[in-house]
Amino acid sequence: MSSKDGQVELLQGTLDLIVLRALSTMGPLHAYALASRLAQVSDHPLSLNQGTLYPALVRLEQKGWIKGSWQKTESNRDAKYYAITKPGERELARQAERWRRLAGLVDKLLLES
Amino acid sequence: MSHVRRSLLRLLSFFRSDRAEAELAREIQAHLQMLEDGFVAQGMNAENARRAARRAFGGVEQTKERQRDARSFRSLDYGWLDLKLGARMLVRYPGLTLVGVLGMAVAIAMAAGAFSMAAMLLDPVLPIDEGDRVVVLLNRDRATNRSEPRILHDFVTWRAELNAVQDVGAFRTLGRNLIADGRQPEMVRVTEMSAAGFRVARVPPLLGRHLIEHDEREEAPPVVVIGYDVWRNRFAGDAAIVGRPMLLGDTAHTIVGVMPQGFAFPVRDNIWVPLRTNASQYQRRQGPALTVFARLAPGETIESAQVELTIVGGRTAAAFPQTHEHLSPRVFPYPHPFSDMDDPESRLALHVTRFLVTLLLSVVCVNVAILVYARTATREGEIAMRTALGATRRRIVTQLFIEALVLSATAAMLGLAILTVALQQVDAALVQMGVPLPFWMQFDVSWTTLVYVAIFTVLGAAIVGVLPALKATGRRLQSGLQPLSAGGGARVRLGRTWTVLIVAQVAFAVALLPGAVFNAWASLRAGAADLGIPAEEFLTANLVLDRGSAPRTPDAGAAREFTARFAARQAELMARLRSDAAVSAATFGLALPGGEGTVWIEAEGVPMPAEPGDYSLGAGTNVGHMVWFNRVDAGFFSAFDVPVVAGRGFLAGDASPGASAIIVNQAFARRILGDRDVIGRQIRYVGRGGDTRADAVELGRWYEIVGVVGDFPSKLLQPGLSDAKLYHAAVPGQFHPAAVAVRVRGAGPGEFAGRLREITAAVDGNLQLRNLARLDEVLRAEQRMMRLVAAVLAILTVSVVLLSSAGIYALMSVTVSQRRKEIGIRAALGADPRRLITGIFSRALRQLAAGAALGVMAAAGIEGLTGGELMRGNGAVVLPIVVVVMLTVGLLAALGPARRGLRIDPTEALREQ
Repeated sequence: MSSKDGQVELLQGTLDLIVLRALSTMGPLHAYALASRLAQVSDHPLSLNQGTLYPALVRLEQKGWIKGSWQKTESNRDAKYYAITKPGERELARQAERWRRLAGLVDKLLLES
Repeated sequence: MSHVRRSLLRLLSFFRSDRAEAELAREIQAHLQMLEDGFVAQGMNAENARRAARRAFGGVEQTKERQRDARSFRSLDYGWLDLKLGARMLVRYPGLTLVGVLGMAVAIAMAAGAFSMAAMLLDPVLPIDEGDRVVVLLNRDRATNRSEPRILHDFVTWRAELNAVQDVGAFRTLGRNLIADGRQPEMVRVTEMSAAGFRVARVPPLLGRHLIEHDEREEAPPVVVIGYDVWRNRFAGDAAIVGRPMLLGDTAHTIVGVMPQGFAFPVRDNIWVPLRTNASQYQRRQGPALTVFARLAPGETIESAQVELTIVGGRTAAAFPQTHEHLSPRVFPYPHPFSDMDDPESRLALHVTRFLVTLLLSVVCVNVAILVYARTATREGEIAMRTALGATRRRIVTQLFIEALVLSATAAMLGLAILTVALQQVDAALVQMGVPLPFWMQFDVSWTTLVYVAIFTVLGAAIVGVLPALKATGRRLQSGLQPLSAGGGARVRLGRTWTVLIVAQVAFAVALLPGAVFNAWASLRAGAADLGIPAEEFLTANLVLDRGSAPRTPDAGAAREFTARFAARQAELMARLRSDAAVSAATFGLALPGGEGTVWIEAEGVPMPAEPGDYSLGAGTNVGHMVWFNRVDAGFFSAFDVPVVAGRGFLAGDASPGASAIIVNQAFARRILGDRDVIGRQIRYVGRGGDTRADAVELGRWYEIVGVVGDFPSKLLQPGLSDAKLYHAAVPGQFHPAAVAVRVRGAGPGEFAGRLREITAAVDGNLQLRNLARLDEVLRAEQRMMRLVAAVLAILTVSVVLLSSAGIYALMSVTVSQRRKEIGIRAALGADPRRLITGIFSRALRQLAAGAALGVMAAAGIEGLTGGELMRGNGAVVLPIVVVVMLTVGLLAALGPARRGLRIDPTEALREQ
């Protein structure tokens, strides 16, 4: 696997975690709201195409971690709202823990050197 | 868990993509709308807001593509596309498809046939409960390296002393007349088997009971167990059959049981009577020929059973050195001895055959690969274009592999169809020849064969598709784009590789084709030969007097009594037949026309051949003139309308023990005596073939030729062997069994068969007609086998010729195509076209000639190794033909591209540079 693929892999993992976390804290969101949230948390609002979300959403849905359903928005438009599921919550806890440990480890290593 | 769920959903989505597509489009549309709403809210006008929304979202199509990749298995989509493309390729290149599919189909049929044959013979599975634990015990004679079947005493010893095996039993097979109420008597195969046989087979009876030990006693009433088919066909499935009598020969047996459908243990049997063995009646190594079987005791293996058997055998050998000194008892898996697979040489031969056939398959695949490569070379522009548009190498190789897979899968299906037909033909031929296969051997395409074929289909596709693809995509593809813009053309450079391939191809064809062509032709001639006698008017059979269940005491008095009885019965039968209105002639001989045995003779005043004859020797020497031998009734020749062309026919006294009159055929007179002084010439026997009865020929004694008859039947079943025959006179009872031939008037022999059986049974209930059949069927059965061999060889030869020609054609045209531009430019620069053509052809000719020379050398080597068997001295005729054919094909292949090269517009040729 090339290094480029490695980056994509890392990004995907991060993206999954971010989506799950957003849905967990903010409740059901549609793709546009999720993308806005993403732009909010990243420092470069334009660094990410909003379309990037879609593969992650279908992946998470197929894994059973989120569930989509069509609802009306406040402006009365049709949108597919995604909600986190029970297995999704468990997965979020597991991934968050993993990230924290990894981050702690990297921190420690960086401090030591 | 979530991974499994996702894979399933992805698979599902592959089949239900329409719904997911619609939903995705709707979702993205909503997303864009909301983005747009946001921008409008920030104060943009509608048009700008829409553009900004698109920008913020990114490429809609790319997003959809990535979502599809995540949602479904895109490779499946590609696979389907490639399959369609592959099928289209088959149609677009019909020549390549025809040659490639045909060649691979024949090779696959051969390989699968060899595989199923080998599986059937090498690792047969006995389809009964724990069939792999059933064994055969036999005595091998180390002096002759043959099995000694007369093992009654050993059987008794083994049954009593062996612990590693249990249920030791034995069987032998006999022919008996089955006489049932109101039906014609019928010769049936009856198996005398120990009761243990049913315990070994572990199959319960459908009705009644098995045979039991009590039935084996001398004083027990005769009983019989019948098979399902006999029950259905002979007794109309009568549910109250148990307890009814059944007449076998002249003994009434009580039916005690019916076995279920499919039960055929020990070989292919359906009538079982108890084996009554009284070892005290026989000397050691005397008595009936038996096959001894057993089941391994729990916890024992073949090896441990062999150890115990060797110890027991050692004790017997020590106690009875005169008979058992050279005998070593052996234990084998039950099916092995039936397929001669207890012999390591046969096993090796089979493995070698399997290897060679597999090798043939790979040679064919490489040939097809060359063709496909030539096609791939012409598609290099397309490949380069696709690479430029972003297709990965893996993707392109996969595509070419799947194209090849379509080709090889088509070939595999055709190959399996060919194999199925061929196996049916072999099966039919075997049935017609009266050689039933054991019940565990079946001529069909088993699922293991299917797996084998599937593996080879994929491997073949890999050779045919992946090798050329790797080579075509492996080079710098940018260069491939260049000619694309300038009108296309094959640019794959091979140079030396092509040359080596052409030379190897021609050499291979020249080395192997002549033998195949010659053998196919010889088999075909034999298969189509006219019989030369009105064989279709004859019913023939072997006349046997059943000795009944009485013990065969080796007593000279009893033997004389038996001979006298048989002589009387045979004479009576012949007399009754001759007086029957439907019979125009009834005669007999030691063998039927075409079924004679071989002898080697010395003829007075004729030099002996220096080389020994190539045929199995029974006794004496095989240095002499090989001729066919028969003893016949005085009316034999006239019955077959064969004229006596010189001298006289047989007279009454010619069959007496001291008589020395013999009659020869015209081929004998011509070939051995040169048609000079035939009548009155003396001959004597110097050797006897393995197919001639020991008591039929007296070596060393001189006989005198008294007559010459025409040649019959004119068949060429053994091409290359002599067709010279000689005859002695015979009287009824002189030999047992006797071959009887009855010529039937009018209605045809088929209808007379029943009447013939009735007449025979009326003479004596124990008188049997074995192998009753029309003579033309008997002779055609062998011819049928010959035709089958010819067909197989012809198909093989045609496919190899086709493949080799196509391969050479492809190779030549690709090499010449490569030089097309060079030719064009040189022509443009004013070179003499004739010189250019000569240049091209001399190079092609050099390659072809080198191949032909190598091939001739290899052919000579093979001919030497096989002792001239392959072409039987016809190499001088066949070899040049094959060489000429190959050279012509090669030169023709070079012709087209060369002419195109000469016709090319000089400016075009220059621009291409």
